[in-house]
Amino acid sequence: MPLLANRKGRMDIRNDDDVIAARQKGRMLAGEIGFSPMEQAMLAAVITELARNIVDYAGRGEMLFHAVEDQGRRGIVVIARDEGPGIPNLKEALQASYSVAGGLGLGLRGIKALMDSLDIISVPGKKTTVTARKWRAGSPPAPSYDHGGGQ
Amino acid sequence: MSESPSGLQVPSDIQDEYSEVLRDYIVRPNEQALRRAYEIGRRTLTSGAGVLGIAALHHEALKDVMPSLSAQIEEGLLIKRAEEVFVESLMPFEMSHRAFGDAIAVLRRMNERIEEEAKRIAHALHEEAGGLLSATHLALEELARDLSPEGTERLTLVRRLLDQMDEQLRQLAHEIRPTVLDDLGLLPALDFLASGVSSRSGVAITVEGSTEGRLPSAVETTLYRNVQEALNNVIRHAKANKVAVVVTREAHAVRCSVCDDGVGFDVSAVIAARSERGLGHVGMRERLDSHRGTLLVTSTPGHGAELLMYIPLEG
Repeated sequence: MPLLANRKGRMDIRNDDDVIAARQKGRMLAGEIGFSPMEQAMLAAVITELARNIVDYAGRGEMLFHAVEDQGRRGIVVIARDEGPGIPNLKEALQASYSVAGGLGLGLRGIKALMDSLDIISVPGKKTTVTARKWRAGSPPAPSYDHGGGQ
Repeated sequence: MSESPSGLQVPSDIQDEYSEVLRDYIVRPNEQALRRAYEIGRRTLTSGAGVLGIAALHHEALKDVMPSLSAQIEEGLLIKRAEEVFVESLMPFEMSHRAFGDAIAVLRRMNERIEEEAKRIAHALHEEAGGLLSATHLALEELARDLSPEGTERLTLVRRLLDQMDEQLRQLAHEIRPTVLDDLGLLPALDFLASGVSSRSGVAITVEGSTEGRLPSAVETTLYRNVQEALNNVIRHAKANKVAVVVTREAHAVRCSVCDDGVGFDVSAVIAARSERGLGHVGMRERLDSHRGTLLVTSTPGHGAELLMYIPLEG
C-alpha cells in the first residue's frame, strides 16, 4: 500500500502532553486527506486510548501516523509501539468485557469498533505494537477543524 | 442541574469542569480542551450516568457560558465550536455502543457454532448409532433361525433391551437437536416437545399460534430452547396442571409466551439466586441477547407464572 509522501508523523509518548500532541497530529493529518470532523474525532479518540495504554502500562513509547492510498481511497494508519510488559490474555482483551485500559469495554474493543482494522503484536514482557487503520468514508473532502490560534 | 430529570445527574465537579472546557474551547479552540471533553465523557460513562447525562451536562454548560460569550463570538462559530466539544464528550459512548454491537455479533456466532455441533452429534446418534442398531437387529434375526425355541425366547429379551436402547438414543438425539425443528419449523417442533413432556409428566400442555412462515433458523432455535427450559422449570417446580405456549408473529417481531397455573414464585429472588432455576433464566436471557430480544417473567406466589419472550426480526 503506497504511503503518501510527506503525510506522516512520529511522536514520543511519555506523558499527558504527548497524548494531546498526538491527538492534534493525527487529527491534522486526517483533516489534510479529507476525513470529516466526525471521523477526525473518532481518530482522536483512538489515539487517546492507544497513547493512554502506552503511558499507563509501558511508561513510554512512540506513535507513528501515515496517510495511505489504495485503489483511489485514502486512509490513515496509526501505529503505537512500546517496550512495556505486553498484553497478557490478548484474546480476552479483545473479546470479553475485559479491557486493558479499564472500564466498560473501552480500550482495545472500543478502538476496534471505531477503526476498519486493528492488528496487535504483543510479546509478553517485551513489547507491544498496535496497528490501526481507518479509511475515509466515500464522502467528498470535508474541511478540517478550525483550530484558530491554538496550534 | 435542578431542571434535569432525576437519574441524569452528573456530579457537580464534572459539570463545572465541562463548563470551563466549553468556555475555553469556544474562546480559543485547542486540542487540550477537546482531550478534556473526551475524558469527561469517559468519566461520565464509567460513572454510569449515560448518554442523556452528557446531554444534560452540555445543555447546562451552554446555558452557563452563552450569555457572556455571545457578545464576543459570532453565533454560527459559537455553535460549531460547542458542537465540536459535545462530539468529543460523546465519543466514549459511541465506542462503547459500537463495541457492544460487536460483542452481540460474537455471542451470536458462538451460539450458532454450539447449535452446529449439537446438530452434528444428534445426527451421529440418530443415523450412525441408529444404523448400527438396525444392523444388530438383522443379525439377531438371522441368528434366531438357528436357535431352539428356548434360545429364541432368550433372544427376544435381548431384542427388547435393544429396542429400549433405540428409543433412548432417539430421545437423546431429539433433545440435543430436534430434526423436526430444521425440517418443519418452530410450531411443529414445539408440538412435538409439548407432547413428549406432557406424556412424561402428566401436565396438560397446549401449543397455539403461528409464525406465518419460517423464522430465521437461529431465532427458531432460541425460542425452542427457551420453551424447552421453561417447560422443564414448570415440571420441576410449579406443580401446575396446565401450561399454555403461545407464539404470535408481529409485523417486525415474534412473541412467545409460556403460562402455567402452578404455585408461582418470587421472581426477583429466583433471578438473583445462583440456583439452577436462576441460572436457567440467565441462559434464556443470554440466548435472547444475541437477537437483541427481551425476556419478561411475571409471577406471584400462588398464582402461576408467565414468561414472555420478544425477538425483533430484521427487514
